[in-house]
Amino acid sequence: MSREDQLRKRAKELLANKEVAMVLGYRAGKRPGRATPAFVTRPEDADILIFDDRCGMNLAAYLPRVKHRGRIAVVAKGCDSRSIVTLLKERQVDRSQFFILGVGCEGVKENGRLSDSCTTCAYPNPVICDEMVGEKVAEREPAPDPLADFEKLSSDQRWQVLMDDVSRCIRCYACRQVCPNCYCPTCFVDANSPQWVGKTTAGSDNMMFHLMRAMHMAGRCVECGACSRGCPMGIDLMKFNRKVARVVRERFGAVAGLDPDQPPALAAFDPNDKQEFIR
Amino acid sequence: MKPRVVSAEALTRLVTGWAKNAAVYAPVKVKDWTEFRRISTLAEADLTRVNTKLSVRGLLFPQCETMFRFEAARPDKPQEADQPEAQVILGVRPCDAAGIAVLDKFFAGQGETDTFYQRRREKTTLVGLACPSPADTCFCSAVGGSPAGTRGLDLLLTDIGGRYLVEPLTDNGESAVKDLPEAAAADFAKKKEIADRAAAAITLRIDTAGLKGLLDSADSHPVWEDLSLACVNCGACTFVCPTCHCFDITDETRKGKGARLRVWDTCQFCLYSQHASGHNPRQTHVSRFRNRTMDKFKYTVDMVGEVSCVGCGRCIRECPAAVDIRETVETLAMRLKE
Amino acid sequence: MPEAAAADTTAGGAFEPKIVAFLCNWCSYAGADLAGISRIQYPPSIRVIRVPCSGRVDPFYILKALQKGADGVLVSGCHPGDCHYLTGNYVARRRFAVLNDLLEFAGIDPGRVSFSWVSAAEGERFAEVVRDVTEQVRQLGPNKKLLKDTIA
Repeated sequence: MSREDQLRKRAKELLANKEVAMVLGYRAGKRPGRATPAFVTRPEDADILIFDDRCGMNLAAYLPRVKHRGRIAVVAKGCDSRSIVTLLKERQVDRSQFFILGVGCEGVKENGRLSDSCTTCAYPNPVICDEMVGEKVAEREPAPDPLADFEKLSSDQRWQVLMDDVSRCIRCYACRQVCPNCYCPTCFVDANSPQWVGKTTAGSDNMMFHLMRAMHMAGRCVECGACSRGCPMGIDLMKFNRKVARVVRERFGAVAGLDPDQPPALAAFDPNDKQEFIR
Repeated sequence: MKPRVVSAEALTRLVTGWAKNAAVYAPVKVKDWTEFRRISTLAEADLTRVNTKLSVRGLLFPQCETMFRFEAARPDKPQEADQPEAQVILGVRPCDAAGIAVLDKFFAGQGETDTFYQRRREKTTLVGLACPSPADTCFCSAVGGSPAGTRGLDLLLTDIGGRYLVEPLTDNGESAVKDLPEAAAADFAKKKEIADRAAAAITLRIDTAGLKGLLDSADSHPVWEDLSLACVNCGACTFVCPTCHCFDITDETRKGKGARLRVWDTCQFCLYSQHASGHNPRQTHVSRFRNRTMDKFKYTVDMVGEVSCVGCGRCIRECPAAVDIRETVETLAMRLKE
Repeated sequence: MPEAAAADTTAGGAFEPKIVAFLCNWCSYAGADLAGISRIQYPPSIRVIRVPCSGRVDPFYILKALQKGADGVLVSGCHPGDCHYLTGNYVARRRFAVLNDLLEFAGIDPGRVSFSWVSAAEGERFAEVVRDVTEQVRQLGPNKKLLKDTIA
């Protein structure tokens, strides 16, 4: 039985037995090459579920929204499962509220090419699940450091590259909305009494948004790439997120979403944290 | 107004001529797509893509526009923002032009005139480009448009192989091409053949009148809950849409000087409908999703007499969650009858 | 209201940087106060914002200061282990480390944003930190990156 068939069968069973009220997974989008989230509530509809390289959204982002429906079964690839761990750590969801159907992921493809985020994936298999659907996938050899070329540039050159990129941002916040970590009732860009970040798409305001979002991702971003795939303007958001994730890894030995019992990296501290940058 | 023909070289000369007296905009290649940018020669334009990433509305209703400036030292003398210059927008697809025609109704057709939009509109010449092969996301003819539609345009160009058929549609358009040679009957026939073939490529049909009738009493139907689940409530669809026109007004100051700015806003943001009291009539995710679909297919019919979706397909292409308005409409037509 | 540009240079034409300094109330602010009482001279480049703890400083404030026209930012708190709120500066240290690395990565000149631990008893040390930071920012010149100097 193919993995997809196994997934559909399990989904049917979970729904028929009323173990869950809804299966949150993926189904084929109307356009070829795209998948869209599926919210299956009837066993007979479980056949719409798919799992392949079109499944680029991070379904953990939908958990807070559907939890009121009852117990949810959620299809989780490696990165999504780490997002679930992050949400658990931050008390946004309760472990008893969902049943994780883990799937190993061989990478998301866009237009036939492996998505940028997936080239450096270190966790293709779920780190937490109630049941694994199909076999675990082999861990892939990560691509050479994607930040290496950028870091060779001078300060001014780096600033220019980033400004040229973020100046194209139209502040649609697709990146924020598809991200499981962005669940604040009022995002800092929406605070308007006083207005923290200008609403213009001037380079400066856009850079403020992207730098601060990267800071808010520190220790939490699982580098799933949903944000950069979701960006209509093709902005290289992974650059910011990867840098921050690397800093947290190298300085504090913390990787987002691996251990539900470990406090979030930036909410914790070690009296011996390096402080070479402090006078 | 008689149709003309123009070769690629003659069009190049024409564009260079236009650029002497106006800002000329055309689709320009950016990464894997095109966006409207200012050009000085036709060679900079890329007219091969079906439509641009962002719609043409940004050239009439910019994402960030200065309304006026002021100084603390001179509170009684606000300065008007700079007057917009004349502009010629080349390569406007018929869906976008139809979108402008709808925007015209909102910004100038309801009693009040939006002077900021209007003063740009008056100085704008829209040169359309017919679509020989609609994309898989196109559905203009399902909502009253067509790949060779002329609505909203000053001129329509159709590539008939080696040259363009040029159809002047307004006095403005006529004066821009008055020196071009007239088209032969065969040229016009070729255009019609291309236009008919393109129209046939779009098979989707939407009963917009029937849908409007169903939507009139659909506010509390449970179908919205199901339809809205996948939507993440970002603003991508609204910002790429040719007819969305909501905006916010914000003041910014620095060192005793300031400006009042108009910036794009979207009904998809929670903050959009929040009252000063804290109450929010569209607090829920479902209500915001419902609002957009209702607006395109019902509210604008109530307000200005027509559906405001022009079938350009951008929202389908850019939605991060692959929500497809065609699917939405199909589901509504089915479930609202229950 | 006079244009602030004139205040950026001394009579001799040297660039006088504007530095926003977030000082924690219990240590660094007290240290700055001690410097003042002791009549220790240091450049008048800093504009002080008193915060209860270095942990109160959101990285956003630092970016906002640069956006609004500061040439440099200094954040100073209690020495680790001496925080009035016990752990505020430990958490702040992690946050500042990430911000510092991110800003350098993004191309903000190293030295524009500085961090220090200065205790309430370190009046002379505070003055020294300000002298060092001022000189460093002076060398970097006026800040242009992130500055929002035109309004639409």
